[in-house]
Amino acid sequence: MLVDIWEGTEPRPEVERFCEMWGIKGPILLDPGAELAGALGVRGVPTNVVVDSDGTIRAFGAARLDELEQAIDDLYGR
Amino acid sequence: MAVTSERDDPSFPVGAACRIDSRSPWRAIAEIPVGLDPEGIAVDNLRRRAFVACSRSDFVSVVDLETHEVITEIATGSEPIDIGLDEETGRVFSADAHSDQVTIIDSATLEVETALPVGGYPSGLTHVPEFRRLYIGNSLGSTMTVIDLDTLETVATVDAEPGAGAIGVDPTRRLAVCVNFVAASANFYDADSFEEVGRLELGVGTCAIGIVPERGEAFIVNSIAGTVSRVDLDAIEVVEEIRTGQAPVGLTVAPAHDRIYVTNRGAGSLSVLGVADGVEWSQIPVGHGPGGVVVDPHDGRILVANAGSQTMSIVEDLLAVRPPAPVIEEPSAFIGGKLPAFALEDYWTGERKTNHDWAEKKYILNFFASW
Repeated sequence: MLVDIWEGTEPRPEVERFCEMWGIKGPILLDPGAELAGALGVRGVPTNVVVDSDGTIRAFGAARLDELEQAIDDLYGR
Repeated sequence: MAVTSERDDPSFPVGAACRIDSRSPWRAIAEIPVGLDPEGIAVDNLRRRAFVACSRSDFVSVVDLETHEVITEIATGSEPIDIGLDEETGRVFSADAHSDQVTIIDSATLEVETALPVGGYPSGLTHVPEFRRLYIGNSLGSTMTVIDLDTLETVATVDAEPGAGAIGVDPTRRLAVCVNFVAASANFYDADSFEEVGRLELGVGTCAIGIVPERGEAFIVNSIAGTVSRVDLDAIEVVEEIRTGQAPVGLTVAPAHDRIYVTNRGAGSLSVLGVADGVEWSQIPVGHGPGGVVVDPHDGRILVANAGSQTMSIVEDLLAVRPPAPVIEEPSAFIGGKLPAFALEDYWTGERKTNHDWAEKKYILNFFASW
């Protein structure tokens, strides 16, 4: 799921434009104060955090497609 | 975050009476708040000022480089995203993406002189004093506009490809290179006739370029692929792909041309890449979501526009040469730990969602910003 951060302004119009531009329809959470991002030490975007079914973080960062694919494979034990 | 590993310096034996340790290959000088979503920076060396294009604020922040304070904000068109300064005329040019124009500011009076219409969504801008030309990449127009720096007349409008933005110019070969973000390509033009002389397919998300003329090479950032392509300008071919930090977006060539600086938007860092060896020498932490990067010719300090933290970082690269050990990517300390509890608003429904809503599910949180 997407987590929107660091807009610096009211996020809703920005997210709306972003979704229209890229055809995004999936779940989106708003983190305007970057509280969750800050708690995780996120320093840039995009940052992917891969979470296992027990809430354990399995991968962090993984901005490159090959890294993300590897993280997903690892998550599912493939 | 990545760090550069170091060895003990044998010139300072253990127990030396006076030793000043400077183990870090960089030094943070300042992080200065500017407007929203800063993307581009130009330096006025004469007056010791930086002009920062703040795209979400529709103004340029002017920063005093001695006091590190913002001295004024200059209104531009909508979404100023890239910026350059011509020392000979003292003009500052901002590419105002959403207004399809370039705003021209007098760097002495800090007043807007005029605005020039260009193509659709100008997102990259390069000024070439040797040619007295300003080159603008128009992303939606898929064109490159060329403007005379002195007369401010449009000299040419040349077809490029979707996502045209960053432009590099090799004055030695009289070659202009337009990088196309959406098409993941670059067009090569004769800088005098503007005829296309070559084209390259590149990595996904091409968005910045630097030229090292004496080596006949261009370095082009591929943001989504996470690489920098080394391009042979004579053969017009990619000869090497260099890995950087996460989501590289900005690039500038160091004055000595021995290294390039690449901002990693996904990592909040600046990669120092060796020009000759193609090795990442170090990574320097900067602000959140860094983009535009320039070197201050006065002192060699590096200025970085941080879109996420809405600041401009000033850092020093302290490496004299390539370090003995390469950059080591340290995994996040959170890996293996539990995701912190959260309660965030759902954009679609307005409801509060918590981590409990996804209990016993595997999922990915993708932190993003719309800029």
